[in-house]
Amino acid sequence: MTVPSILTTARSLAFYSRQQEVVANNLANASSEGFKADRMTAQSFDQVWPEALMSLDLRQGTVRDTARPWDLALESEGFLVVNTPDGERLTRGGGFEVDQAGFLVDRDGNQLLGREGPIHISGETVVVEQDGTVIVDDARAGQLRVETVADPSRLVKEGHGRFRAEDPLLAVEQPRIRQGAIEDANVDALTGTVDLIRIQRAYAAGVDALRTLDGVMSVITDDVGRV
Amino acid sequence: MTDGMRTSASGMIAQQKRVDVIANNLANVNTTGFKRSRANFEDLLYETVQGPRTTAAQGIVGPMQIGHGVRLASITRIHGQGGPEVTGRPLDIAIEGEGFFQVEMPDGTLAYTRDGSFSLSDSGQLVTSGGNALVPDIVIPPDATAVTISETGAVSVTNGMDGSMIEVGRLELARFPNPTGLLALGGNLFGETVASGFAATGFPQEDGFGRVLQGTLETSNVEIVQEMTDMIAAQRAYEINARAIRAAEDMMQSINDLIR
Repeated sequence: MTVPSILTTARSLAFYSRQQEVVANNLANASSEGFKADRMTAQSFDQVWPEALMSLDLRQGTVRDTARPWDLALESEGFLVVNTPDGERLTRGGGFEVDQAGFLVDRDGNQLLGREGPIHISGETVVVEQDGTVIVDDARAGQLRVETVADPSRLVKEGHGRFRAEDPLLAVEQPRIRQGAIEDANVDALTGTVDLIRIQRAYAAGVDALRTLDGVMSVITDDVGRV
Repeated sequence: MTDGMRTSASGMIAQQKRVDVIANNLANVNTTGFKRSRANFEDLLYETVQGPRTTAAQGIVGPMQIGHGVRLASITRIHGQGGPEVTGRPLDIAIEGEGFFQVEMPDGTLAYTRDGSFSLSDSGQLVTSGGNALVPDIVIPPDATAVTISETGAVSVTNGMDGSMIEVGRLELARFPNPTGLLALGGNLFGETVASGFAATGFPQEDGFGRVLQGTLETSNVEIVQEMTDMIAAQRAYEINARAIRAAEDMMQSINDLIR
């Protein structure tokens, strides 16, 4: 009877240890543009072991003005689409640049995609409208794709602020893009600190439980059956 | 948990870098033509513990991925306009709008600057405060009594003998497809790189170049209040990452104490 309880406790310790890593990663990325926090919870299905579940916290981060024309922030749901060597990827991160060939690219040189392909900038004044229409010197240069998937909480993170979609992309009905602004990470320092303390205490409680179970085991092995 | 500690350490390193950038901005709050920088961060690679999967009770659930921290993605120079400071000195020239002055480096290559505090060399040539000659050459004759520079960059001198005005040259500006890609050389100078693209030259107030203002300098575009608030944010983020390391350490400690 006690051996399964020791296993259960050990599993919960492993869960808390993972959860600590997730919270630590959220806090480490408190200054990453367009970062979306991860949430790790546990849920019991079919009355067996509780299973760890993760989801993406897609709440809007604070949008901060930067006055840099190539900074694009999203104030609605959805993601911008970049073309990486591995295929199309989604991003909320907004510091773009113009490469030598005149294409709008992200920091790693991946082209930002519009409905008619990459956005080419050749001109002096560039205006990006709320719906993603890019206007260069009063002429339309394209419209940025703002897309999402049916269940964005299941997007796979690839690092560098990019997400991989496993499901088909869907256009967002009413996108709101803000030029000259950047979306901060949606990491809440207060909740993060509270989570850290909670995890730490829960872990300590688990260790105490293990110690008690160990004591019970030792009574069984050492004392029971002794004449 | 050791992974968690490394993750938090990457967070501390990132905030440290951010403070370094802010400190440099603040140190240059009075540097003519200085452009502030901003540190940009992005998340590191993720370890996919379990991919998206189907469960009996919940249908499809998302992937389980653990992140491993943050890294400095880039430091972007913000080429926003600095404020004009009227100095009244005839050889102080500010650019309002796009463009850089071109100057010649000692090795013959070109460098670019927004710092227009020029002076004259022994041969009457316009040079920067660092002694680099302006390109194309502008030579002020020794008998000139006054120098006038129009907003379109035409440099005229007043002849001391008869008071007549002679145009001695015209200022040229350069601009880049991606000014963010320029390399800071120190001394308020920037160098062309593969990322910035090639310089396109032209005259002030033509083809989208800015106008030049005589007797004016462009101040640094650093805003102290903004830098200070960024610094406070960086400091707090640093502390919270340190706290996360302490929490992980405490958890390791308690599990280590279990072994009698």
